[in-house]
Amino acid sequence: MQNPFEPKILAFLCNWCSYAGADLAGVSRLQYPPNIRVVRVMCSGTVSPHHVIHAFQRGADGVLVAGCHIGDCHYLKGNYMTLKRMKFVQELIRFAGYNPERFRLEWISSAEGVKFAEVVRDFTEKVRSLGPAPSFEASPRLAMGL
Amino acid sequence: MKTKVRQLLEEGRVDAFLAYKTIHGVPFPTLFTKENVDELEEWAPFKARYPVTKILLAQARQNPGKTFGVLVRGCEERSLYELFKWNQLSPDKVVVLGQACTEDLALYCECKKPFPDQLDYGEAPAPVPRSRRLEELEAMPETDRLQWWLSHFNRCIRCHGCRDVCPVCFCTECSLEHKELIPARKLPPDSSFHLVRAVHMAGRCIDCGLCEETCPAGIPLRALYKRVNDLVENIFDYQTGVPDGKSPFSMLGDESFLPAGPR
Ligand code: SF4
Ligand code: SF4
Ligand code: SF4
Ligand code: FES
Repeated sequence: MQNPFEPKILAFLCNWCSYAGADLAGVSRLQYPPNIRVVRVMCSGTVSPHHVIHAFQRGADGVLVAGCHIGDCHYLKGNYMTLKRMKFVQELIRFAGYNPERFRLEWISSAEGVKFAEVVRDFTEKVRSLGPAPSFEASPRLAMGL
Repeated sequence: MKTKVRQLLEEGRVDAFLAYKTIHGVPFPTLFTKENVDELEEWAPFKARYPVTKILLAQARQNPGKTFGVLVRGCEERSLYELFKWNQLSPDKVVVLGQACTEDLALYCECKKPFPDQLDYGEAPAPVPRSRRLEELEAMPETDRLQWWLSHFNRCIRCHGCRDVCPVCFCTECSLEHKELIPARKLPPDSSFHLVRAVHMAGRCIDCGLCEETCPAGIPLRALYKRVNDLVENIFDYQTGVPDGKSPFSMLGDESFLPAGPR
């Protein structure tokens, strides 16, 4: 029998807010699905569209980027860049034909452990309902319309 | 063309001028200096297109002290604006003469501005504000669009022609050669190849269409980058290929203009 689909979700969390929020969720023993793998970054503004594309390239079914709320970034305006880039990359993947709901941007502060757990729960369910992400792997067969 | 270019060269306002010379009936980009100034021809409209500003950039990099002149179409002037903005060329080292494109070229390109601001030769044809190709693609359901792109992407032979011909691809180190991001030694390359290039063209591509014309696999790259820059325009209210402003991806801080809407 086939195993039920378990989505793989990669999360980029900024060190100062969202990672601390995730930590708080852990310390508070809040339940959230284990489908998420975390990459800690110093600021969400360091996440390039390349990282998002690379995550999908390597088989992620969903990608979450989370940082401090606008105005709270520890590098002042790092998350302005995050907002610009992520809004763009989401539209780009939509135009390429990938479901933009596989990507999510959230602002989660270090006090928002509850929000972190909720986001992860909600996003995991969303991605689960979408099924496995279409592969970025090349296939010459596709070029022939097979 | 003869007189104006000759004048620029003889008055010493430019050290060399990049224009065209007919060889076997086809115009080829040629660098004119005082030595071969007599070979200059009269201007007449023609359809052949080359990455002239890319040739100019290579010349300028090799001869940093020199001033160059160049004959540009609308898109080529747009690429110059970008090269100035991205600090690849210095505006005071470039003198521009401009030529209009023909009406059929404008229609073929679905070109928003088939003439340069600096118009010396030819009559400006009407702009083509809408892209039918893009509208058809937009109207496709998501899953069909994915299949449609994959059927094209998967013909790529990874020749890098799209990058090499592109007048605004000026980096000396290229993400398309990043072995992790786009796994090496795979043919066709994974979709990340095309998405990464699309990311790089955001806020930069001036829609000349040379990439698509060059592509031996006939991948409709122009539609992809046209869309990418429509996005940049819609989200950030920023247009590429105009003299003012800076790409929203090139700056942080107060200058940044955030997309409207809830955050
Ligand atoms: S894109 Fe085509 S029509 Fe527009 S300026 Fe360039 S060559 Fe002319
Ligand atoms: S249309 Fe193609 S070649 Fe021209 S600027 Fe855009 S990406 Fe570069
Ligand atoms: S020119 Fe076409 S075939 Fe060559 S690398 Fe670019 S997309 Fe691929
Ligand atoms: S430090 Fe958290 S988003 Fe910049």
